[in-house]
This record gives sequence, C-alpha cells and structure tokens, in this order.
Amino acid sequence: MEKLKEMRSSRKSFLLAALGAFAAVFSGGIGRAWGKGHGSEKAGRHKPGSHLWGMVIDLDTCTGCGACVLACSAENNQVLGSPAEAAMNRVIRWLKILPSQEGEYPLVKQRLLPMTCLHCEHPPCTKVCPVNATYRNEEGIVGQVYPRCIGCRYCLNACPYTIKFYNWKEPVWPAGMEGSFNPDVSVRPIGVTEKCLFCHHRLQRAREEAAAQGRPLQAGDYQPACAEVCPAKAITFGDLNDPDSAVSVLARDIRAFHLLEELGTEPKVTYLKERS
Amino acid sequence: MSNFLLYMRRLVLELFEGGWRYFAWTLLLALLSLAGLNAYCKQFVHGLVTTGMTDQVSWGLYIANFTFLVGLAAAAVMLVIPVYVYKDETLHDVVIFGELLAVAAIVMCLLFVTVDLGRPERFWHMIPGIGKLNWPGSMLSWDVIVLNGYLLLNIYICAYLVYMKYLGREPVRALYIPFVFLAIVWAISIHTVTAFLYVGLGGRPFWNSAIVAPRFLASAFTSGPGFIILTLQLIRRYMHYHFPDAVLLRLRSIVQVSMILNVFLFVCEVFKEFYIETAHVASAKYLFFGLHGQHGLVPWIWTALAMNLAALSLLILPVSRSLKYLNLACALAIGGIWIEKGMGLVIPAFIPSPLGEVVEYLPTLNETLICLGIWAFGLLLYTLFLKVTVPVLKGKIRFDGNAPLKAIQ
Repeated sequence: MEKLKEMRSSRKSFLLAALGAFAAVFSGGIGRAWGKGHGSEKAGRHKPGSHLWGMVIDLDTCTGCGACVLACSAENNQVLGSPAEAAMNRVIRWLKILPSQEGEYPLVKQRLLPMTCLHCEHPPCTKVCPVNATYRNEEGIVGQVYPRCIGCRYCLNACPYTIKFYNWKEPVWPAGMEGSFNPDVSVRPIGVTEKCLFCHHRLQRAREEAAAQGRPLQAGDYQPACAEVCPAKAITFGDLNDPDSAVSVLARDIRAFHLLEELGTEPKVTYLKERS
Repeated sequence: MSNFLLYMRRLVLELFEGGWRYFAWTLLLALLSLAGLNAYCKQFVHGLVTTGMTDQVSWGLYIANFTFLVGLAAAAVMLVIPVYVYKDETLHDVVIFGELLAVAAIVMCLLFVTVDLGRPERFWHMIPGIGKLNWPGSMLSWDVIVLNGYLLLNIYICAYLVYMKYLGREPVRALYIPFVFLAIVWAISIHTVTAFLYVGLGGRPFWNSAIVAPRFLASAFTSGPGFIILTLQLIRRYMHYHFPDAVLLRLRSIVQVSMILNVFLFVCEVFKEFYIETAHVASAKYLFFGLHGQHGLVPWIWTALAMNLAALSLLILPVSRSLKYLNLACALAIGGIWIEKGMGLVIPAFIPSPLGEVVEYLPTLNETLICLGIWAFGLLLYTLFLKVTVPVLKGKIRFDGNAPLKAIQ
C-alpha cells in the first residue's frame, strides 16, 4: 500500500514536471513562430507607393533559345561549370530551362520551362533557415545573405522548385576571366547557398539614379537581365502592386498559372500556358 | 575542490589501466576516428563536392545517421521512466549506462550535423545573442537548442550521481530529481523536434506526414534499449559489473512492445501511401520498387523490412527469453531500423523532386569514412565513460577521507 502511494505520488510529480516543461517550451512563442513573417510582410506589401516585383513568362512565345540563361549567368558572375559537374547535378544556373516530354512516341510534345526563383509570397525556404540568411524583403524579393549562410542546405530541401543552388566546391573560372566580372554582384564562396535575386543590384542602381534625378523610382526603371535580353519578349517584369502594369495584366490572363499551386507558396513568377 | 581534482586525476589514471582487450579495442576505435578525421579534412578543404550529394538530393548519409542517433540518445528515457517514475528496482543499477549512452550519442549527432555544414566555422551564427538564430521559426534552430540542452542535462545527471557515489554520499534528491524529470520530457522532445525538421516541409510529401514523429519514437524505443541490451552484456562480461538476467528481460519487454508499435505504424504508413495511388506515392514507390529504372534503395529497404520482421517474430516468441536469441533479435532490430530510419527516410523524399526530376544518390568513399569515423569516436567515448564509471560504481575507486595521494596510487 505504502509502495502504491509512493508510486502514485511520484507519477503525479512526473506529470506536473512534464506539464511545466511543456508549458515553458511552448509558451516561448510558438504562436509568434507561425505568425512570424506574414504580418510584417503584409504590412510592407500594402504600403502606399511601395513596389511588389513580379514576373510573367509566356510559354507560348518562349522559343527556348537560352539567351536568358546566358544573360543571367554573365550578369550574376555564375561559375561556368563543367560537363562532369553537370552529370552530378551541381551546375549553378539561377535561371534554368527545365525540359519535359508529354505523351508517348509518336505523339510526343517537348516542353521547355524557363525557371528562376519564383520569389514566393510565402517562401518555405526563408522559414526554415536557422540563421536568418534568407529572407523576403518588403518589396517581395527573396534574398540570400551569403556571409551569414552556414551551408546546412535546409532551404534547398524546403524549396519545392529545386531552384536554390549550393556551392559544392570553391568557384573557379578559366584564367583571364577575372576582369570580366560584374562588379555590382558579389562572388559566392564555397559552402554557401545562392539563388536568383531578380537582379537586385539593378534595382539598387535604378533607385540611386532616380534619387539623383530627384524623382521617385518608377517600375520601368528596373529590369532583370533575363527580361531585358529575351529576344521573343516572353519575359515581362514589373510591379504587381500597380494593377495596370503589364505584368499585373498578364498575371490575370486566362492562360496564367503557377507552379505547384497547391503548396500555397504563392509564387510571384506567373506562367502563361502555351496556346493549343 | 582538491577532492574533486583528485577524483578527476584518479579517473584519468583509470583510463590508462586495463587488459589487452581494452587497449586493442580503444586503439582500433582511435585509428578509425583518425581515418574519419583525415577524410573530414579533405572535405573541409575541397568542400562537399567530396560527397555524393547534389542540388536535388541535398541531404545524405550524414543526416541519415544523425536521425538514427537522435533516437539512440532519446532511448535512455526508456530506462529512466521505469526507474524514476515507476520505482522499478530491477533497472536501477543500469540506468546510468543508458544516460551515458545518451551523452555519447548526442556528441555523435552534433558531429554529424557539423560535418554536414558547408561552413562549420560559422557555427556561431547559431549562438543566440551573438549570432542571429531564427528561433522559433526554424525547426533546425529548435533542434540546436534541444540537442545541446539534452547533452548538458545528461552530462550533469551522470557526473553528479557518479561523483556522489565516489564520495560515498547519498545524492541530494532536490539536486538531481528535477533534472531527471526534465530530461524525460526533453528526450521525447529531441526526437519530436527532429521529426518536425522533416514534417515541416510542405514540398516533400514523403516527409510531410503526421505519423513521422510517432514512428521516430517507436523506432527509437526499439533500437535504443536493444542497443543497451547488447552493451550491458559486454559490460557484465568484460567489466565484471554484475546484475541479474532479469534486467535484460525487463528491457526485452520494452523492446517487444516498441517493436510491435514500430511495425504497426509502418503498416499504417504503407497503407496510406499505396492504397490510393496519388502522385504523392512516387517517393515510396522509388523506395520499395524503384522509379524510372532507378532502384538504388530497393535492396536496402527490403533487407530492413526482413530484419525488422525477423526481429519482431523473435521478440514475440518466448524463444527470445534466452539471451542468445534476444541478442540476435536486438541486432536485427538495430540494423533494420538504422536502414529504414536513415537512408530509407531521408533519401526517398528527394526522389523524385517535387517537379519530377529523378536524381539518385550514392555516398562516396570519403563520406562513408567520415561516418565510420564519427561512429568510432562515439563508441570510443562510450567505452571511456564506462571505463571510469564502472570502477566508481563498484566501489573500486572511492573517496578515502584524507588519505594521502601516495596511498591511493
């Protein structure tokens, strides 16, 4: 009997201790954790006069020429890569063209999907980063702080679009190429993750130029390299906060769709379906 | 203070005494650890290009072993609960070995995470206050906190109890019981948080399942006490620390129930994946049958399945009351769970990628050597912990009042 009582009391104290510990752990702000980001982001998004950058890619117009891929890698000092690295899926191209085939031979349709970071409104990658090295800024661009990244690759796993890239080795360029770097874009070191930033350096430059001229930044002042170079004009870039901008109008087109829409990431890169 | 220093000195001296078996075993482990360190140096210089990981499969063998070892660490709780909550006297004398195992396992976990980092020298970015830890947003930041907390809790409990034993004093309950109870909750939390690390990714349907955390716990409470059953017998045989077979049989009933739960939850998962073949079944298909001509994991998972089922059968049958069969069952369960929960859990989530790319993963030799090295280092640590703890528990090393140092030596 005595023993039973002792067992009961110790079980009670255990349950109380367990309850206390759980309360301590969870009251720490799990609510804040899941609320975090969205509130502040929304506040930024609706600030009058602010921009929300977005892109529309028309798959009907796209010829798959690859000019955007080249422009992107030259603009952003991306490592050239080698066939061996390509075979290991370790080539860094912030903008890549994903090929796919539909149907069985002979009724085969080859499709090409140009992909950049989709700059999700609810980016899964920023939420998981343990050191706040990736974040969504108030203009909707998902950024990456290279000196802060510890290279855990959790954001690569979280990204459903496999569009974040890891520096598996020290970046090397062929001799003589050092002088041809874009001085506005930092070169990423070994062991960190990198990604498309919608040519954020161009936005900074445009903003400085507008400030120098004493006028507010207009959406047309800034274009990422891929949109600028596309010979078929398949890439439209602009301000989604302006309902009359070309990009907003196209994003509402009947052909518009987003990749893996069911995940609720709300990408700001919209695709326009091919016309059948 | 001088008493404590003398105690530490005696423990260190104890490490250098022992038979040829002890020295051969520790030498072997030390050599393997050094081979691992050498492999890690290569990785540190050349980058993770020395591994088999890719942008598509960005976590591999390191995180697979990490996941298994978190379970091993958490399993100490299966000895602590009977002893401290239910006042089970049977396991009382061996509970400390479970806690020591937890310390060694967590050290291995932290090493596995560290070798997986591209920039390990930036670990301080995760220290709250100095760095910019994304807490409570990132599950990885939770994991950093709970793993280190669990390590400290177990180090404190073991060190306090062993030191009190040395002094021949009764441990003060207020100084360790609250921490023991905290460690119980904490043990469950380390494995739950590790499961949430995977569950929290919406783009990976193979992981994004509520059953992952319960499955983790069930498998941990099978493999952990199973591992302890095996090591306890080694301790009894080679370190002459005596306890009755009843201890092992009590652990057997824990392993038995956990294994039944483990297999049951596995069946639940298999049903959910395969009964209605949605697009989300692709990863499970890759794991069990292969996908688009790629089937790297198929032989592994079927081996794991066979091992788990054999272990389950042995554990249910009365035959495993004999230690020979119990040991076989435990070894099978540990092997099966290591495959299933390691590579079998981590890799298929990446194959195919959410956009449908099928890229296989094969660990390189360098990567495997690093893993071997960390395992060897963890086992070496555990051996050394036992080497100093057992003589104190047996009373061979104890405080002799103010006896001069010479007399002790």
